[in-house]
Amino acid sequence: MKNRELTLNIFRYDPNIPGREPYMQPYSLQETEGMTIFIALNQIRENQDPSLKFDFVCRAAICGSCGMLVNGRPRLACKTLTRDLPEVITLMPLPVFKLIGDLSVDTGSWFRQLSIKTGAWVHSDKSFNPNCQEERMSNETALKIYEAERCIECGCCIAGCATANIRDDFLGAAGLYKIARFMVDPRDERPEEKYFDVVSSEEGVFGCLGLMACEDNCPMELPLQVQLAYVRRKMALIGFRV
Amino acid sequence: MNTIVTDVLIIGAGLAGERTAIEAANQGLDVIILSLVPPRRSHSTAAQGGMQAALGNCAMGRGDNPSIHFEDTVKGSDWGCDQDVARLFCETAPTAVRQMAYWGVPWNRVAAGRKRLPGGQEIYELKEYEGLITARNFGGTAKWRACYTADGTGHTIQYTLDSIVIKLGIKVHDRMEALRLIHNGDKCMGVVARCLRTGKLYTYISKSTVLATGGCGRLYGASTNAVINEGSGMFLALETELVPLGNMEAIQFHPTGLVPVWILITEGARGDGGYLLDKNHHRFMPDYEPKKKELASRDVVARRMIMHMRKGYGVESPYGPHLWLDIRHLGEKHINTNLREIANICRNFAGIDPVNELIPVRPTQHYSMGGVRTNINGAVYGIKGLFACGEAACWDLHGFNRLGGNSLAETIVSGMIVGKKAAEYTLGTELTYSYQQVNNHYNIVRQKIKNIIGGKLNKKRHENVFELKNIMEDVLMKHVGIFRNGKDLLKAVNALQELYHRSRNISLRSSGTGASPELGLALRLPGMIKLALCVAYGALKRTESRGSHYREDYPRRDDKNWLKRTLAYWPEEKDLPCLKYEPVKITEIPPGDRGYGESPGKGGTS
Amino acid sequence: MQFQRIVTGKIKSDLYYDLIELFSGLFLAGFLGMHLIFESSIIAGKKVFNNLSQTLDENYLALAGISLVVVVFFIHFLTAGRRIPTRCKEQKIIWHHTGRLRHLNTWAWVLQIITGIIILILGSIHMWVVVTDRPIKAETSALRIQSGYLWFYVILLLLSVVHAGIGIYRQFIKWGWFPRKPLGYVIGFISIFFILLGFTALFTFLRAGGL
Repeated sequence: MKNRELTLNIFRYDPNIPGREPYMQPYSLQETEGMTIFIALNQIRENQDPSLKFDFVCRAAICGSCGMLVNGRPRLACKTLTRDLPEVITLMPLPVFKLIGDLSVDTGSWFRQLSIKTGAWVHSDKSFNPNCQEERMSNETALKIYEAERCIECGCCIAGCATANIRDDFLGAAGLYKIARFMVDPRDERPEEKYFDVVSSEEGVFGCLGLMACEDNCPMELPLQVQLAYVRRKMALIGFRV
Repeated sequence: MNTIVTDVLIIGAGLAGERTAIEAANQGLDVIILSLVPPRRSHSTAAQGGMQAALGNCAMGRGDNPSIHFEDTVKGSDWGCDQDVARLFCETAPTAVRQMAYWGVPWNRVAAGRKRLPGGQEIYELKEYEGLITARNFGGTAKWRACYTADGTGHTIQYTLDSIVIKLGIKVHDRMEALRLIHNGDKCMGVVARCLRTGKLYTYISKSTVLATGGCGRLYGASTNAVINEGSGMFLALETELVPLGNMEAIQFHPTGLVPVWILITEGARGDGGYLLDKNHHRFMPDYEPKKKELASRDVVARRMIMHMRKGYGVESPYGPHLWLDIRHLGEKHINTNLREIANICRNFAGIDPVNELIPVRPTQHYSMGGVRTNINGAVYGIKGLFACGEAACWDLHGFNRLGGNSLAETIVSGMIVGKKAAEYTLGTELTYSYQQVNNHYNIVRQKIKNIIGGKLNKKRHENVFELKNIMEDVLMKHVGIFRNGKDLLKAVNALQELYHRSRNISLRSSGTGASPELGLALRLPGMIKLALCVAYGALKRTESRGSHYREDYPRRDDKNWLKRTLAYWPEEKDLPCLKYEPVKITEIPPGDRGYGESPGKGGTS
Repeated sequence: MQFQRIVTGKIKSDLYYDLIELFSGLFLAGFLGMHLIFESSIIAGKKVFNNLSQTLDENYLALAGISLVVVVFFIHFLTAGRRIPTRCKEQKIIWHHTGRLRHLNTWAWVLQIITGIIILILGSIHMWVVVTDRPIKAETSALRIQSGYLWFYVILLLLSVVHAGIGIYRQFIKWGWFPRKPLGYVIGFISIFFILLGFTALFTFLRAGGL
């Protein structure tokens, strides 16, 4: 396995230049010990092609910037080791999101829109009193909220989702997971019916086909399907109540 | 020229930037945040450990109060911090934490009952505190006071703050890089920025501007920082020629960064009994520190590691020399449960299974205590209408060594305070600017870009931006690392000066059109080299050892001559910063024995 | 929110569609199972088969059952079919997506769409033939199979069981009623059982000579 000669076929396209067609460009690279796609791409940019566009920030699977299709599957490039891949590696940008150039896509705007659409903040009429002790909460509840907030908005679940690929308005696993986060938070005073409008439609949980490509491609290994099912059951119950 | 006008302009959408934005927006001001990346991608999210605040709810934090926190902070800083700032910070931190809870951070809470700590000690959490925010232990503190949310403290705080930013409708222009501060020699009026989607230039005009761009870890070749932490806010301020940077030589290193991606391996590995081995698989720490071995304090371990590698015992690798961290003897069960986080990092990012394999590690740059010098209100020295907070600033909470967990707390607390002060300033000022002045700054940037792109045609100019960056990183790693001495520092200064001259002849190998990443780096690099020179030159001139600044030729702290803060200015035609000094404000605790860092302190990262 | 959405108010149709798809699907799957079990009574002999058929007929169960199945069959097509990408562009995207992703469950969905469409055609023919050729008797059934309908039934059997299996699996996962892995095994096992059962019945009809 050591010292292989890798070939990276990378999708190239600059949407800012009218008339230019997308194409695949091959790059050759000597594999080194512990090499990740993060290291490989930076080496290519430094030594072969400084115009290559891609996004990395934390390079530690925390920030969710570097989602891309590695041999067709949505992956975080920073935690994808080349040694787990064949000698020829194909890199393409995530689908669904607006393409900025080459491997760089605008997941940020997509997720921002999602937060606005779903009202993804704690809705409360209470005001903050700096002189008071914090409101109490059981540690289990805190951990439950934390579990539901672990999504890093990398977009891999969205890119892997068949519905999201053809429906622009689909909330996707990340969106429904986000809603679940506020549903389990006792500080959020939204009546459950409020969620119904956003979630209980084809754009929301009833657009889900249950293909589980979201869960299978989640780099954080979040229990997406469990949370989606929770939201679905909740919505069905609310649906019969309101 | 695309021009956007606002009341408050904030550069950086990490925790400090967003917290400032919320404070200003709550005063009814129009706020725009510029950010290199979407806010939730900020490096702030990587802070896993915790946020120091003296709540005193948990058993091991009982009796805690801001005064004890203050004392820890001052001692930790090796008396380098501003004590007024430290006092204000410690008093405000509990409110800041509670406000974050109100906004939605799922802080871990006190669960009543008896508990056994890994060391065997038994503690009892009281029923009356149940459900209040709890805290964990961090190195260098007298009480447990690092509030946390499992292993994702930075992540949850960032997501919560950003949710409030969205709720308040604060505009965030992400993928927008500030390239130059617009000012008239007296007052800052905004920035010239480049869109990283299209490459287009924009001017932002504002009544006040806040720098919240984070640290400059990426000056170093091996840094735990995110790749965007290139100190841009610092050199933007420096390039005004009016603003000084404070204590740039104060750089914190972490002993165990994972080679070659430099992700942090927490102290937990050594705390639980991990060994450090050299290239002959010899456990070398007992040779140097027979008593504490691997469990000596962070800076001591890091110094010993470097010393041992200098002797030629480092393991050669394509990524430079490193040492091994060995936790194999702890057993599979222990590694996969108690050290799961470490094990996952090794498997995911280095393809190493620490159950059977050695982990390559090396001391790695971690935090910059220095930054844009501000007063206690966050107002930047030397210019009106410019503020700074968070790691980008030298507010001076950390002095020469930052306490674990104080960085996360600083982002929020300074965001609160500086945001309020910036809003007060903004409400009391008028938007005045001359088109001519704005245009001048815009043209300077445009000309710079033209020169870099056009450099292709001029045969004398052919410097490769990546090559220069690598040299800068190496020079700092080699000569301005953990061990510093006059000879090496002088070498570094000379090498960086030469590099600075070369950086004026950068020419691109790509076309540089649109959102070219190469052009982006070419625009930043001269500024980064200036910062590197501030670090190296400041370190050269500071002939003492204080906190993380360790001089082999001056191993003692020298309060008589050096109880002062370095202020680095950059006169445009020069290739060296001009250093001035100001006294450090001592109000409550006079300099004494630090007694900090002697305990290994589990998990003291962030 | 946009004007048209404000004036139309809360719409629960998506929930109802989803539930109708679910229950019609479950009904059809249940029917398929029953159907195959009844069918396989031929294995026990012509007499058993004819008696069973006659009993169902006499109680109007066959008539009621068949009518109900026909209705539910088309309701299921209408509700589940709304999910089928109809535009050319969408279909192309799905092909690209599925080909790239190489993800078992996504392929299973594509397979389900294809089987669904074929079942719509074959099932309609099957129902037409049965309805026009009532009452159901072992002799007529055997004759049909021997006169060239064998492959028709082999295909319909395979497609129906696969379609039902994948459908139930996905619905159970979607509603979170069962953990994924064991569910996959259980459904796979049951599907194979029904396919074998169906084949045996078909084989018996084929061998039922002397008509």
